[in-house]
Amino acid sequence: MISTRCAACKYLRKRCDTDCIFSPYFPSNDPLKFACVHKIFGASNVGKMLKQLPVHHRAEAANSLCFEAQSRIQDPVYGCTGIISLLQQQIYNAQKQLAIARAEIALNAHQAHLQGGSQFQQIEASSSFNNVAAEPLHVDQSFFDPPWLF
Amino acid sequence: MPGNSGGGSGNSSGGGGPCGACKFLRRKCVTGCIFAPYFDSEQGAAHFAAVHKVFGASNVSKLLLHIPVHKRLDAVVTICYEAQARLRDPVYGCVAHIFALQQQVVNLQAELSYLQAHLATLELPSPPLHPPPPVLLTPPTLSIADLPSASTMPATFDLSTLFDPLVQPPWTMQQRQMDFRQLGGSRSTADNPSSSGGGDLQALARELLRRHRSASAPSTDCSPPPLSLSKLD
Repeated sequence: MISTRCAACKYLRKRCDTDCIFSPYFPSNDPLKFACVHKIFGASNVGKMLKQLPVHHRAEAANSLCFEAQSRIQDPVYGCTGIISLLQQQIYNAQKQLAIARAEIALNAHQAHLQGGSQFQQIEASSSFNNVAAEPLHVDQSFFDPPWLF
Repeated sequence: MPGNSGGGSGNSSGGGGPCGACKFLRRKCVTGCIFAPYFDSEQGAAHFAAVHKVFGASNVSKLLLHIPVHKRLDAVVTICYEAQARLRDPVYGCVAHIFALQQQVVNLQAELSYLQAHLATLELPSPPLHPPPPVLLTPPTLSIADLPSASTMPATFDLSTLFDPLVQPPWTMQQRQMDFRQLGGSRSTADNPSSSGGGDLQALARELLRRHRSASAPSTDCSPPPLSLSKLD
């Protein structure tokens, strides 16, 4: 019978029991996954952490541990926190861009309103309705009450 | 917080007793102990307890030995952060924080695309301008495979942000208002109620556009000023 040890037991060179805590989450076809978590957390710590969790949470826990371990291996100083910083920077940049876009929309809306108003005054002054549509411009008043400005 | 705490109380060579790590491990703190500069004998023991429980003293020691001395404090801070996050959330650890931030990025980018589409058409958005409903309470739909890797490092690193609440508040309209107000803070928009006339609105919009266009020429280089590690406490 061919041995079907999980990646953890292969790495640790021990027998893989039927109730091995690692085997559902560290299959033998992905040896790197266990190697990463072992290097950063240690097999004993990983085993303890998984055992303390309900079974239905263990897969996600193993994956997140693997992600943290890989991040730490790639970046020994900052690990996952380097990614956090990167995302915070992206958020900051997006917020800036949003503020610019909202300001431009507000400006366009106001200019359109002014143009509509001046057009109406011109119509009154010339008393000519031939070339200009007489229907009043509809401007959404909420633009003068933008929720983002106080 | 880990770090040198006045007079190097964690340094065993001065006869000040064992460092926090050796105190926790109940071992003799030798001269040149790798943990001593970063875990003082008082609060350091508690921080080290979390690190030891998640990573193990031996693993952390090996990790620190491979890091240049001037980078070790940063490494210890981030390791402590990850350890505490893992103890707080045994399933996801600090990855939950990453998920939350990634979701914020997705939401912001969606909103930005929406607004830029409006600008591109040069129309007034005819319905009242409500940004796409922010995804406030939906669970993260991302998987770990979607997360960015650690290979791209930021130019500056603000460690003080790590110790904000781990669970980022959901992205809300109110938060956007605050951000917008901060950008226009010098105009005292808080003192300018919404009932002000269109002229104020126009002036404010112009001021904001002027300020951001002058500041955003190298758009990706504008980053919040990093705080020093001394401000972490």
